[in-house]
Amino acid sequence: MNVVFDGERLSADPHSEGRRLRIDPRCLAGEPVAGAYAHVCASADREAKLRFDEPEVQQVRRDALEYWITLLGEDLVCLTTCALDASLYAGAITVTRTPERFGDDPFARLFPGTVVETGLFSEVPPPPGPVIERYAGVPWPGGCF
Amino acid sequence: MDLSSGERFPDLDLPDHTGRPRKLSEIAGGDPLVLVTSRGWWCPKEGRYLRELTRLQDEFEVAYTRIAAVSVDPPEVQAAFRAGLGARFIFLSDAERRWLGQLGLEETTDTSHRPYRPAVFTLFPDLTIHAAYNGYWFWGRATMEELRQDMRAISRAIRTDWEVPQ
Repeated sequence: MNVVFDGERLSADPHSEGRRLRIDPRCLAGEPVAGAYAHVCASADREAKLRFDEPEVQQVRRDALEYWITLLGEDLVCLTTCALDASLYAGAITVTRTPERFGDDPFARLFPGTVVETGLFSEVPPPPGPVIERYAGVPWPGGCF
Repeated sequence: MDLSSGERFPDLDLPDHTGRPRKLSEIAGGDPLVLVTSRGWWCPKEGRYLRELTRLQDEFEVAYTRIAAVSVDPPEVQAAFRAGLGARFIFLSDAERRWLGQLGLEETTDTSHRPYRPAVFTLFPDLTIHAAYNGYWFWGRATMEELRQDMRAISRAIRTDWEVPQ
């Protein structure tokens, strides 16, 4: 499941202009939450990428489990990392009902965040932890065996 | 309720440390699970044991295995305790003691707090109990090495590619 990011806007239309980012498919599978805000910590630049298994990419997932999800509480709609393929990380998207906490987003350490108003995403229970590994290449925290 | 090896642990439905409703089966999510029942933040034995478990999470995070802790502390207290531990696993709050009696895990010797009796269960993804440890006395709890061994046994049983495919 992909979204397209042009640096300012997010779209689920695969034909839109911008960079295609693979996300946890559950984030687009349910009833969309209207009037939500996405903190897109990704770039439209196709060269902006890291390996999922780099220590800094592992650490932001730990930070998400340790404090980011707790800090957002019931404000959180869903959260997903963005993959380019089975091994490359291109960023993360946190979707909330209000944008107040985005200044604390650990994923912004890797790629700076852009706030986008959106009605694309549905509510997904946040990962219970402590697993930070991906399941068969699905963008964390999606998938299972 | 029989919570011995081979029995199915009930699919607890409780709020987590953020107040969000959760089910135990959703937390397992297809992976083996360590479930700890804990007196609460105030007991030094619980602090000691959960610090140990917090260290072990560094192995669980890469091993497709999960940890959950249940106590009667309210979610906001659990969130603070969890942050102090540096835990990245989930805490479930039974502050209303909905499951405490049904599970038969009330610590009857503490009538002022009415907490959970410390216990550790290692569970298959479908919540079948692999092993149960009575932690009323600290030394009754599963050691970290026993948890590793239990996670190995469950993983070996459920992962069809445990033996490397030829």
